[in-house]
Amino acid sequence: MSVSGPDFTTLWVSRISRNRLSLVLVAPTLLLLVLLLFFPPTGSEGGALLQFIGRFHPIAVHLPIALILLVPVLELVGRTQQFSYLQASVPFVLGVALLTALAASLLGWCLARNGGYSGPLVTQHLWGGFFVVVISSLCLGLCGREGRAARLYPIALAASIGLVGFTGYRGGQLSLGEDHLTEYMPGTLRKVLLVSRSSAGRATGGAATFYGVRIQPIFAGHCISCHGPSKQRAGLRLDSYAALMRGGKHGVVIKPGDARGSDLFRRITLPPSHDDFMPKEAKQPLSGDQIGLIEMWIAAGASKTQPDLMTGPGPQPVTVAAEVRFAEIDYAAVAKKRAAVDAALIELQKRFPNILEYESRGSADILLNASLLGPRFADEDLAALAPLQDHIVTADFSRTAITDRSAPAIAAMKRLRVLRLMDTKTSDVTVQSLTTLDQLESLSVFGTKITPAALPALARLTKLQHLYAGETAISSTRSLPESLKNKIVRE
Amino acid sequence: MADSESRVCRKTYSSSVGEVHPDVQFAALEAQTRRHFLRSLSSGVGALFMGTIASQVTHAAKVGGAAAEGTRLDFRRDPTTPLLALPPQFPAKVRRVIYLHMAGAPSQLELFEHKPELKRFDGQDCPASFLAGKRFAFISGVPKLLGSQYPFHQAGQSGQWISDRLPHIEQHMDDLCVIKSMRTDQFNHAPAQLLVQTVNPRLGYASFGSWVLYGLGTENQNLPGFIVLLSGGKSPDGGKQLWSSGFLPSVYQGVQCRSHGEPVLYLDNPSGVSRPLRRTMLDAIDDINQQTYAAFGNPETVTRIAQYELAFRMQMDATDAMDIRKEPEGVHAKYGAKPGKASFANNCLVARRLAERGVRFIQLYHWGWDSHGSDAKEALNLGFADRCREVDQPTAALLSDLKQRGMLEDTLVVWGGEFGRTPMRENRNGQEMKYIGRDHNPGAFTIWMAGGGVKRGVSHGETDDMGYEIAKDPVEIRDFHATMLYLLGFDHHKLTYQFQGLQQKLTSVKPARVVTEVLA
Repeated sequence: MSVSGPDFTTLWVSRISRNRLSLVLVAPTLLLLVLLLFFPPTGSEGGALLQFIGRFHPIAVHLPIALILLVPVLELVGRTQQFSYLQASVPFVLGVALLTALAASLLGWCLARNGGYSGPLVTQHLWGGFFVVVISSLCLGLCGREGRAARLYPIALAASIGLVGFTGYRGGQLSLGEDHLTEYMPGTLRKVLLVSRSSAGRATGGAATFYGVRIQPIFAGHCISCHGPSKQRAGLRLDSYAALMRGGKHGVVIKPGDARGSDLFRRITLPPSHDDFMPKEAKQPLSGDQIGLIEMWIAAGASKTQPDLMTGPGPQPVTVAAEVRFAEIDYAAVAKKRAAVDAALIELQKRFPNILEYESRGSADILLNASLLGPRFADEDLAALAPLQDHIVTADFSRTAITDRSAPAIAAMKRLRVLRLMDTKTSDVTVQSLTTLDQLESLSVFGTKITPAALPALARLTKLQHLYAGETAISSTRSLPESLKNKIVRE
Repeated sequence: MADSESRVCRKTYSSSVGEVHPDVQFAALEAQTRRHFLRSLSSGVGALFMGTIASQVTHAAKVGGAAAEGTRLDFRRDPTTPLLALPPQFPAKVRRVIYLHMAGAPSQLELFEHKPELKRFDGQDCPASFLAGKRFAFISGVPKLLGSQYPFHQAGQSGQWISDRLPHIEQHMDDLCVIKSMRTDQFNHAPAQLLVQTVNPRLGYASFGSWVLYGLGTENQNLPGFIVLLSGGKSPDGGKQLWSSGFLPSVYQGVQCRSHGEPVLYLDNPSGVSRPLRRTMLDAIDDINQQTYAAFGNPETVTRIAQYELAFRMQMDATDAMDIRKEPEGVHAKYGAKPGKASFANNCLVARRLAERGVRFIQLYHWGWDSHGSDAKEALNLGFADRCREVDQPTAALLSDLKQRGMLEDTLVVWGGEFGRTPMRENRNGQEMKYIGRDHNPGAFTIWMAGGGVKRGVSHGETDDMGYEIAKDPVEIRDFHATMLYLLGFDHHKLTYQFQGLQQKLTSVKPARVVTEVLA
């Protein structure tokens, strides 16, 4: 399959005159020039057929890019003895690149002219494409020649590469956003390259104004991809207050004080199926809150300077009901909190399945419900829970076989908030030892042998809210310590 | 807690074929039928995709039951213990729910809604504005307004209004949080009950109890975690769908227990089969199931094993828990319970026993509140009064028992129907009826809650002077559920289950709000 270099070149050059190719290309290049000069993009949408054709621009454009970038590779590698035959393919590659660049440029014009683009980005992109065509024609003319042309050729080639880069970058900005290369650039690289964060799409109305804080961010989030610095469909820009108030080719879009009469408001409140509805093209419609904000702002005069007096993220009703805010759980922090207790808990969960569990997904506190084991849970079992004593905040020993011998173990659970000793054999001894539980809020001694003698000890528990003492000797007693009077539940 | 008799089947099940001995692998290959081959062929493409996310899943599993993928809560459990208790998302106010559903929709205007203005207009023609654009189940033409059939008074230190029909519940008025501005969009019983229990009027959604069981599991592994008890002589119109698990795994559905006899049908051993013989039989079945699992790794097989084991453990514990004869006579008297009969009183006593035993969600349905006035049983002045008597004392006894033991601190008790009743007297076919009754009113109804995290002795929301529509602070059913989930320790957005491409949640797709005004 190998064709020796010189033979092939001779063959190729003799078959198709490069000059003749250039002549063939002159007409479409001139056509492109005329289109760019006299029919530039206007920002309004045009013929559907041309738009349809134009949409193939992004597909077609990558072929000439690749081919033009291939040329210097062929030239450089072709200088070695081994690959010298590669040089022979340069004119062919350049020729194909030129043809496809021209096609892609014409497609690009179709898209720009009819797809509603306007602004400096698209203009520079279009002219960049045109000059890529011109410079690659020049390269084709110069390559393989002798004398001065041979010295100009590398310069022209370098220029075409540069142009391809520039035009491609502008194209990327058009489709992916102005800061598409720097948006997610790592911070250190950003510093090295002295790239600052782009301000495009941010509030331009000032920090503390209603417009700047509430309104501009809505436009920035939903509108400026079509009505911003890169595209100005219908000649309208919404990226600054001045441009917003200037309006577009259909006239002003905001009538201060008259929300219903403002074209912008009309369009965002139409049914989404309506032709005039904004935002178009399956973009996220504005939420009810956002529409409400815009309505309020226009109705209040559409001021640029009016200060933002609202608090919170959205419009607040006149009577504000408290809302529950759910915090996210920081699982790394939870794991850290639990590190000290996890192993002991897992070990004890194996011995006592189902009765020990963390209080919540975000907590290292433990709930203990020994009542499920009933009489099968006794003093020895409670003693075995000692490794968790600093973490248990709720303990239910109802109907278990524990006795006063467990009193020290319970008293050691210093963080207990809730303790249930219902129907156990515990008595005053246990209750009187609970004075260490200064966090205790609720204590059930229902059905135990507790007597009024234990009450003074309980009176010292400052956080105690409820003492459930039904079916005990306290149930009928009359003399209660003052501090417990409202806390005892007896019937 | 492992029953000493039951075999502990806590073997770690691995679904990784790679760890299986080559001989076993060969045997498994031999066991492959054409059906298996075709099935694995079709799932192969999916497996390619699953392979790419498997590493994430393993990571989440490593962090354990308390972990999450990103911000999503993880509710996966070992398939042998599908009901394992999991901690709630946030520290919970309540750890269990007792839901008393008054099926048929009790009239709020005869119980909690004191409307003197309505009384003043009693017997007059209903204004046209009340009827325009409304749909009623039975009212036609121009009905008459109907004042409350019973006198109202203020009760307790909170001074909440209540009629004379609930003298026992009245004793607990200072513990109740009465929501008078509940609203629904269904005016027929079955869809309205479904809406109240599943937050969706159509079939196929998971009930509140199933969601709670899915999210929290249950503490007592020897009893179902979601138990349903019926009384009133008729099942609720919504049927078993009301405690269905819908798209959630079926292990989370409510278990309907009978109030007398065997609590769960076919739970007891057939005559002639002893408990050890049963055990031997289960061991044999388990062996076969485990072989099947080793060969094909379908988690449903392990679930099946777990279900057999639960049933075996329940034979002892369920019968004991449901047997109210074990309660002293004084307690029977307090509830008005008569062992051996199916009654709301018996069910309330059972509910307390189940709550004590760590059952997560207990639901009682009492039928008979559909007071249209079409016959004596449905008359406000006859059958309705009987219904009140049937529920008043036991409900109060339940509240009292829970409170006395300190359990009302971490239990949520809910009482209510599926919609309200009209301030107009029902005039079926446009004619005055022999008995007095009211039609369905989805526009406003009353429920009450009591328990941990809920304000005590307050009313929330108001209806208009006729008790017809909500005048202040409407509470949608989904708001109500968001609130209950909050009390149980969940952000209702985060208690989710992936089904049909959606992160399904109890509170449906419409925005729901936690009713902070009722939170203590």
